[in-house]
Amino acid sequence: MKKINISIILMGIVLLSSCNGFLDVKPSNSAASETSITNVNDAGVAISGLMSKMASSDYYGRNFIMYGDAKGGDFAIRSQGRGLDALYTFNHSATSNSYSGYWNQIYHNILQANNIILNIDKLEADGKGSNALSSYKGQALTARALMYFDLVRLYGKPYNMDKTSFGVPLILEPLDASAQPTRSSVEAVYTQVLKDLTDAEPLLSKSVTKGYLNYYANKAIQGRVYLHMDRFDDALAAAESIILDNKYTLYTNEKWVSSWSLENGSESIFELAMYVSEGDLRTGSLGYYLLRNGKITGAMGWFMASDYYLARLGEDTEDVRWGIMDYDESSDERFGSSLKYAGVDLQGDKGSTSAVNIKVIRLSEIYLMAAEAALRKTTPDRTKASNYLNEIRKRSPNLEPADIDNITLDMIIDERSKELFAEGHRYFDMIRLNRTIEFNDDFIYPAVQISHRTKTIDRTFYKAILPISQAEMDANPEIASQQNTGY
Amino acid sequence: MKKSILIVLSILLVNIGWAQMRVTGTVTSSDDGSPVPYATILVKGVRGVGANTDLDGKYTLTNVPADAVLIFSYIGYTTQEVSVAGRSVIDVILAPDALALDEVMVVAYGTATKGTFTGAASVVKSEAIRDVPTLSFENAMNGKVAGMQITTTSGQAGATSSIRVRGIGSMNASNEPLYVVDGVPVVSGNVTQMGIYTTNNVMSTINPSDIESITVLKDAAASALYGSRAANGVILITTKRGKLGKTSVNFKASVGITPTFATDNFEAATTEQQVEMYYENFWNADVYYRGRTDAVASTNALAQLNKRFNKHGYIFTAPDNTVNSLTISGDRAGQYFNWDDVLFRTAVYQSYDLSISGATDASNYYTSLSYTKNLGRSTVNEYDRITGRVNLTQKVGKFVEFATNINIARSNMEGFNDTRATGSNYFMQSRNLLWGLYWPTDYNTGDPWTARYGSYAYNPVYYNNEWENNSRTLRISANESLTVKILPELTFKSIFSYDNTQTQDHLYFSKLHFSGSSVGGSVSEMVTNVNKWVSSSTLNYNKEFGKKHNVGVLVGWEVEENKSEFARATGTNLPTSALHTVATAGKLDANAYYWGNTMVSMLSRAEYNYDNKYYLSASYRRDGSSRLSPSARWGNFWSLAGSWRIDKENFMQNVDFISSLRLRGSYGVNGTLPSSNYGWRSLTTYGNKYMEQPGSGVSTIADANLSWETSYTSNIALEFGFLDQRITGSVEVFNRDSKNLLQDVPISRVTGFGSTLKNVGEINNKGIELELNADIIKTESITWSAGLTASHIKSTVTKLYGGQDIIWYDPTGGDSRGKYIYQEGQSTLALYGREWAGVERETGKNLWFLNNDSTPDLTVDGRPATYNYTKASEKIIGNIHPKLFGGLNTSLEWKGLSLALNFTYKIGGYTYDAVGRDVTDDGYYWERIVSKDQYDNRWTPQNKDAKYPMRIAIDLEDVNQRSTRHMHKADYLRLKSMTLAYNLPKNIVNKVKLANARVYFNGSNLFTMAAYDVYDPEVNEYGTRGWEIPLGKTYTFGIEFTF
Repeated sequence: MKKINISIILMGIVLLSSCNGFLDVKPSNSAASETSITNVNDAGVAISGLMSKMASSDYYGRNFIMYGDAKGGDFAIRSQGRGLDALYTFNHSATSNSYSGYWNQIYHNILQANNIILNIDKLEADGKGSNALSSYKGQALTARALMYFDLVRLYGKPYNMDKTSFGVPLILEPLDASAQPTRSSVEAVYTQVLKDLTDAEPLLSKSVTKGYLNYYANKAIQGRVYLHMDRFDDALAAAESIILDNKYTLYTNEKWVSSWSLENGSESIFELAMYVSEGDLRTGSLGYYLLRNGKITGAMGWFMASDYYLARLGEDTEDVRWGIMDYDESSDERFGSSLKYAGVDLQGDKGSTSAVNIKVIRLSEIYLMAAEAALRKTTPDRTKASNYLNEIRKRSPNLEPADIDNITLDMIIDERSKELFAEGHRYFDMIRLNRTIEFNDDFIYPAVQISHRTKTIDRTFYKAILPISQAEMDANPEIASQQNTGY
Repeated sequence: MKKSILIVLSILLVNIGWAQMRVTGTVTSSDDGSPVPYATILVKGVRGVGANTDLDGKYTLTNVPADAVLIFSYIGYTTQEVSVAGRSVIDVILAPDALALDEVMVVAYGTATKGTFTGAASVVKSEAIRDVPTLSFENAMNGKVAGMQITTTSGQAGATSSIRVRGIGSMNASNEPLYVVDGVPVVSGNVTQMGIYTTNNVMSTINPSDIESITVLKDAAASALYGSRAANGVILITTKRGKLGKTSVNFKASVGITPTFATDNFEAATTEQQVEMYYENFWNADVYYRGRTDAVASTNALAQLNKRFNKHGYIFTAPDNTVNSLTISGDRAGQYFNWDDVLFRTAVYQSYDLSISGATDASNYYTSLSYTKNLGRSTVNEYDRITGRVNLTQKVGKFVEFATNINIARSNMEGFNDTRATGSNYFMQSRNLLWGLYWPTDYNTGDPWTARYGSYAYNPVYYNNEWENNSRTLRISANESLTVKILPELTFKSIFSYDNTQTQDHLYFSKLHFSGSSVGGSVSEMVTNVNKWVSSSTLNYNKEFGKKHNVGVLVGWEVEENKSEFARATGTNLPTSALHTVATAGKLDANAYYWGNTMVSMLSRAEYNYDNKYYLSASYRRDGSSRLSPSARWGNFWSLAGSWRIDKENFMQNVDFISSLRLRGSYGVNGTLPSSNYGWRSLTTYGNKYMEQPGSGVSTIADANLSWETSYTSNIALEFGFLDQRITGSVEVFNRDSKNLLQDVPISRVTGFGSTLKNVGEINNKGIELELNADIIKTESITWSAGLTASHIKSTVTKLYGGQDIIWYDPTGGDSRGKYIYQEGQSTLALYGREWAGVERETGKNLWFLNNDSTPDLTVDGRPATYNYTKASEKIIGNIHPKLFGGLNTSLEWKGLSLALNFTYKIGGYTYDAVGRDVTDDGYYWERIVSKDQYDNRWTPQNKDAKYPMRIAIDLEDVNQRSTRHMHKADYLRLKSMTLAYNLPKNIVNKVKLANARVYFNGSNLFTMAAYDVYDPEVNEYGTRGWEIPLGKTYTFGIEFTF
């Protein structure tokens, strides 16, 4: 009997020691993170995933674009409580309406970029590098730069106001769950952004790409960053590197309105794709947010143009850009509702009102960037400035073209407002230019008192940047002492 | 064992020389009158004289002294002593002995007798559940086991139940017990992938009639052999076996009807009352809120009514501008559509069971076939099932025994959305959405009404024909075992079991249906295939040394693999309403993947008793699970237990009052695995498709050290029997410290994620359980017995990550209907919300207690209060856990007639009413109907001492706040089941060649007494009542024949 007992115990031991393979059960619809990028194809799949996450509703899919417009004075609301109106009223704090979605989503995306970069570095170190792989790395670096640039503008003071103040935590590798990083300075973040962009520049393709970042998108982002840093010579060089290569062309006045029913048009340097069965936000999409209340089922008229914007665009009643405006709920004569994301026929760019590509960077912006940089650089080039401006300004056929004598910065900034309305630029322009923003509060009907800000604000207002959320401070106590002043 | 004691006794008591005679007779069972074969008959005090009954229960004894005393015994029956007194024919009826300490019970990896088992376990026998009309056994167990709470909130046929054994031990992982059928862990819970449309309880694939007994293992000593899955208790189900003797054929048929719900459930006010409240809603808004005149207010209110209901054939007027003169005219005036007639029906339950069983020395068999059909109260809910079972045991030679248990079940269920969905929950439609003023046909054209009604309800008469759903389950389980008696004291047993559950879900919406219209109709077929293989081998050694030392040792190992496969095919844009298949669809979409886990275990147990007086046992199990990383994969679980038969001590011999007394105690460790199969792995998922290309992303940041949740349980119990076991019972005290509980710990978002799963929390459950049984009257002809179970459990959160509170919501129903907080030192079901201060007498406004330091608007009962709920702070407002819960059973037997009552009760604690916000609305959801409770108790100038505020159509959000307004006392007493049965007399039965015949009536939920009577007090495991269809009152008639 002893023999049997012993042999059974032995059997048990053999069984238990041989079962580590048996106990290694892997999922079938997901892969272990550490081995998910082992070749160039995997890297491409990860880049697609990153682009999809950049089009999330918390980022370019909606809320980041809305941030740039709702706060910039060109947008107005008719009624409170429809959604995201707290951006407009600056009703945000660490504990309620913290808008931590930006922080959360962008850092989640940065993790993806970091993971791609780390794995490509590993592959290259193993001698498995290739041009395609380099291009993916370039895209990941460029995406990371864009995301840090956006983050530092959301949470940090303007570079040309106080670059030594707190920026955001600068994370370049995937972190452990226990990590509790603290904020780097605004300047450190900008430095890294430029480093990523310049590192990426030679890795990227110069051919026109749809839905992905390429060399020209990289250059455009460089231009944006330089404008924010008041490095106008660099900004002009970056803008001209795009314009002079002639890969992209401006829409003619005749084609301008219909370009909003087109995906990846001749101006599109970088679009984030939005497909029906993918990131489509349906009634929560940008297109719906800008439609008139009740225009179609689910449209609630969240945001429309302010009187100031309408007055600006009204400088020329034949401005082609009126073509994308629709009347709003206040009257059938007030054309405050933008159809940029739904298309004039509400068919978007591929037959859907909501699944519409987000035009993140387009050539018109680059012309205006070039104009501004030329005008503001150490030795202003007013010829270039007026030439670049006029390429866009001609969309107001009844306005006098700019020339070396009459050109002003205001003309360029107004043109940016007219052209880039609802594309997420206005607020950041006003902040970097240190201008006063006036809100069209009297448009709200019936009238209400906005208690979270005054009718006009500028970048010295503490709420000009967002708070670090309470949830982040709870999970990361170190960062609590780095909260933005005033919150 | 008993036999040997008796032999010992007989050696000691030597008898000499009496007149010898021959005695014959029959031994039958009082249970069903059937003969008891192999019963032992001994002559008291005489050695070497004895006999066994044959297959017909007959025996013959020779050389019996005329004044001898015969001892009749059989396992599971009370031993009887009968004086011969010169008789030559002695027929004996043995009574089953449910309370005997010698009763054999199924425990982890084996059996034990009740009196020697050192753990805490309760046994429920088939007799206790057999007459309850239920698809799954859980429903019949209510109130029968101390410390166990069973909740079945939905009255849908086929709904899944939830079981909590001794409180709540986890925040993130499962709180459901482990189910073990015939020695093998099985798949449990809901298996359908239909989401909100149906839940399909896989346990209902086991025919309750096939169950012989159910053992509930409660403490660590009883359950630690199941290691890492046993912290929430273990439910051991043993299926029937044949009985030695002639082949027994049993046929049972029953039909039950459920014409009504068990209680009132948010009964709606009449249509006239709804109209009155609707008018009042707008009239009040104008007069009290906007300061307008009666005339303006009345005009506006009538306009609202006319706008909504003119199209249905009603016209409203109020000549004196008040509700007093409100009249309803129009073509349909005086007629209101009764939606209950089309939404509900008398439910019908039918069940037919046929079983054939028997046994010889070498083989034992039990086979059964059953068919059950249950048409639910809702017209779109039905369930039917066929099950077949073969349990076979065959001895091969002297030492080897093969056993095979095979169960096949096929069920088909149709259900509906039980959650708070305006479009498709039929119960909600009946109580909240469908006005009597709405008709299924258009008033002008007579065509079906297809538009959405103003209340967001859809016309069910029309749409019921435009969709279909069903969930078909095929479960095959085969359980093969081999037992080898290597030595008389050494047994080897190996079990291999394969359990396969295949669920096919079908969901169809025509292009006319509101859910299918945007895609041109849709149809989905989903297949989930759940496979479970378990192989376990044990070696069991039992020996007695020196007559007093009894030793038992068990060692073994077990391997388990679970793998589930899922495939879905969806077609949209359907060409014709005649073909409901994916094949015809214009657009196809599919998904398929699989998941699973494995486990390897080593187990052992040692038992020792000295002189059957002092018992000691220890168990140890080592588990390795694929749900944990290689470094954290292995865990050790163990227990120590002991018991002391105090009644066997010499000093107890003279205490006649006490017939049995036993003290036992245990301590041990067991665990709970994380729910997630891959929780420890950092994963990349592929859910980010981009431009029709695959897209990947890192989706979790995992803690590779993720480990078991561990429970440390101690248990002390006193079991007692008084007056020759006329009164028996036990008191148990337990303490369960659950540590390393999984919690979603918040982490810095800079990492890319908001939380990660870590083992950090702690919960304590402690309680006391009482089981008491008494034979109040016990004579030859009449017995009356009663039993009571009572449990008190205190369930407390003792540690949280960083001491931080966690707010959470009832996960059932999908509408966050109950709000709770985990806070250190507080209940595990602590309701969290605002404190409603009732209604202001003069204005009918809502009042709220502030519970903070801001400036109050007024005081209520001397406490600072406000009109504005946003100013009031949330706090812990109540505890769901009752102070006491359990059951009360009594049975009366007289001749062949028996009456059994089974009550369940709950004392203390609260339930949370998640429906109140809809049916006692103050003016938020305008076009909905509300309850009679609201009509009777709302504030009006004539009823100022009202429970509910004034109705006023200004979008008041007060009713939507989670607050004490919706919290109600949970106390109730319910007659869960009542059975009246009659065993036809033997002489009649035998004439028609039947061994036994029985007719019975069972009533379920016939009587309910509740502290709060607006809804059914049997709520879900989180204590909330939502929009699930409630339980019904069921009347069942059954007959049972044995051949």
